[in-house]
Amino acid sequence: MERAGRWRGHRFLPSRDVALLLGPCVLYLTAFSLFPLLYSLRISFTDLGAADSSGDWVGLANYADLLADQFFWNAAVNTAVMVSAAVSIQVVLGTALALFFNLHLRGSWLVRGVLILPMLLTPIVVGVMWRALLNPDWGIVNWALETVGIDSPNWLGSTEWAIRTVVLVDVWQWTPFVFLIVFARLQALPRDIFEAAEVDGAGRRGMLSHITIPLLLPAITFAAIFRAIDAFRSFDLVYGLSYGGPARSTTTLSFLAFQNGFQFQNYGYAAATSYVMVIALILATTLLLRRVRVRRADAL
Amino acid sequence: MSRRLERLVAYFLLVIIAIVGFAPFVYLLLLSGKRRIEILAEVPPDLDFDWDVVARNYREVIEAQGMLGFALNSVLVVGIATLVSLIIAVPAAYAFSRLRFRGADTWASTILSFRFMPPVAVAIPIFLMIRTIGLSDSYPGLILPYVAFTLPLIVWIMIGFLDEIPREIDDAALVDGCGRIEVLWRVLLPLARPGIIVAAIFGAIFIWNEFLVALYVVNSRDLQTVTLGAATLVSAQRPIDWNIAATVGIVTVVPIFVFSLFIQRYIVRGITAGAVR
Repeated sequence: MERAGRWRGHRFLPSRDVALLLGPCVLYLTAFSLFPLLYSLRISFTDLGAADSSGDWVGLANYADLLADQFFWNAAVNTAVMVSAAVSIQVVLGTALALFFNLHLRGSWLVRGVLILPMLLTPIVVGVMWRALLNPDWGIVNWALETVGIDSPNWLGSTEWAIRTVVLVDVWQWTPFVFLIVFARLQALPRDIFEAAEVDGAGRRGMLSHITIPLLLPAITFAAIFRAIDAFRSFDLVYGLSYGGPARSTTTLSFLAFQNGFQFQNYGYAAATSYVMVIALILATTLLLRRVRVRRADAL
Repeated sequence: MSRRLERLVAYFLLVIIAIVGFAPFVYLLLLSGKRRIEILAEVPPDLDFDWDVVARNYREVIEAQGMLGFALNSVLVVGIATLVSLIIAVPAAYAFSRLRFRGADTWASTILSFRFMPPVAVAIPIFLMIRTIGLSDSYPGLILPYVAFTLPLIVWIMIGFLDEIPREIDDAALVDGCGRIEVLWRVLLPLARPGIIVAAIFGAIFIWNEFLVALYVVNSRDLQTVTLGAATLVSAQRPIDWNIAATVGIVTVVPIFVFSLFIQRYIVRGITAGAVR
């Protein structure tokens, strides 16, 4: 209703304008995003490899192989563990940070500036940086832990810890993202709600659990879904940090598809692997964009 | 009294947060000024630097290993791809923000959903396409897919910024007899400059960091981008010289760091606009 009202009085525009403005973008994406995506689907039904450029049609054989491939299931489990662990930690920490920065301590703007930096870095460099920090022989993290009397785990060397370490580094890099979104929302909340609650005698804890958190929930959910999708499809961090190992314990679906495609040059199989991801992502994106549209309508 | 204590604890926490956020960079910086042997011997690294060693490390990385050349390649690719992407995306964002047409929401969601495409799913077909049109191992071979990768992001950010400009401004210009495209070019673009800067920054950072497609498309060392160059120097599969690896890290981080200082307010704007819309 609201929206229709806003549009009243506008001329309905000739579609020539729409075509002119939107056309290049749609054509470009069709050529360089949609076409590759469909091409990838086609490749996934063939045994295309780097050696022979034709590739025979094999139907669903790649997918059947995939379902029987223990490495695929291993990667699927790793991905699920990594995404869920990383995102839930990021959501908790990011929200806590947003509430903390809402105290507006002196100098906090500077720290906020520092927190933005990790997000802008190439994951390759993040990987190197943390491999240095966590180096078992001379890394400073182990030194610091030993100084306070804690035995450091074999961060990237043991199958048990490597995936935790990948999660840890992802948390370091991306918690600020959740923080910024939740913080922006927190800044935008109307002050009078809190004043009214204070007048009504709400304690600080009650205010947090009954007013602040519920009001922040849309932003938190949004950041979580956004992060989950990005963590799911991320590839570079594993490449830079652990290269999927040891013993495939940090091989995610993205990394598996990369290995099958780039390293073993088995394009058909790699395409099938990545297509399983595409299908999962289409589902997730539909979910996310449904939320976005709700928000956009609210904003209008 | 307890309030003062609370304050103290809060500041202590703030310092901890700052350290966790920033110390890794400082550590990398320290390592980049050491000899290989010193990294193994000095735990933690001391602050006593031999400046000849520092100079040697950086010269090794920037000149001998070719990071300067990689950086120039990246600047060229990032610059052209971001520009082309803006030229295509801004009109599209304008159409979504201002025009009403059938299926607008569906079109918008479809375009935006490409933002979430997993790069591994398109890397091989893009590589094969680029090879077929004879552009593998060339800048255009990188720029063509990069434009496609950044379009959804830029469209998304620009819709947000254009939505904030009051429609009355367009209406006034339309009444004065401007065409739609003229309105965009003459009236809205100057007003949307902060949005364009934000969108350009985000597109540029994304391209600067892109790795997988570059890995497929680029073969010759001369054409490698920063990320690719850094990755081949420090990849996780083989033993590396840590002083050189740390220097590579610093050389890659510093441009982004300096950049982010200048554009901090835009960055916050971009992340929240790009995401919360």
